[in-house]
Amino acid sequence: MQLKTPAARRYLKRFVPTMIGYVVTVMTTSLAVAWFQPTGAALIALSILPAIAIIAMLAVIGLYVREETDEYLRQRIITAMLFGIGVVLAVSAVLGFLQIYHAIGQIDVFWAFPIWCASWGAAQCLMTWRDRVGADA
Amino acid sequence: MNNRLRVLRAERAWSQQDLAERLEVSRQSVNAIETGRYDPSLPLAFKIADLFGLAIEEIFLNPAKETDQ
Repeated sequence: MQLKTPAARRYLKRFVPTMIGYVVTVMTTSLAVAWFQPTGAALIALSILPAIAIIAMLAVIGLYVREETDEYLRQRIITAMLFGIGVVLAVSAVLGFLQIYHAIGQIDVFWAFPIWCASWGAAQCLMTWRDRVGADA
Repeated sequence: MNNRLRVLRAERAWSQQDLAERLEVSRQSVNAIETGRYDPSLPLAFKIADLFGLAIEEIFLNPAKETDQ
């Protein structure tokens, strides 16, 4: 992501506190579950807390896409996101069938978001490299 | 889409960054348009045409006419 545009700077200002919120809620939840060993509704409520931060991150990303006025950068980031979604769906399909036929054990659904982020980042890096190759002074 | 943006820019001794600032877009956008990897929207195409004082079709080559030739 190019941080030179006003929308990208706003994105960063929103993303950092959201990311800090995610880290804090993950640590707090982990400690609370370990110490208090809650059950039932309390456990469900605690477990959902870190997910709320991830949902907030998605909202922050959505706001950036809506606010970015540079149409090429917007198209590029959406392309990278779609690539990430494709990777997540492909991995889900492969792992899903491996699980259906008992070739592998349980894999946490939690990994979908990190895989999406990593794939999106890889696609962004590739497109940034492509842009640099074609650039002049 | 093929275009004459690089030539027009060179005639004015503008860098991609110079042109990007005049168009209020990123340098990456200018680069992508010049190399034909990205076709600008109609509003951006008009902005480019206005900047160079030309008609859109004098900057961007009609793909249909290119294949006819």
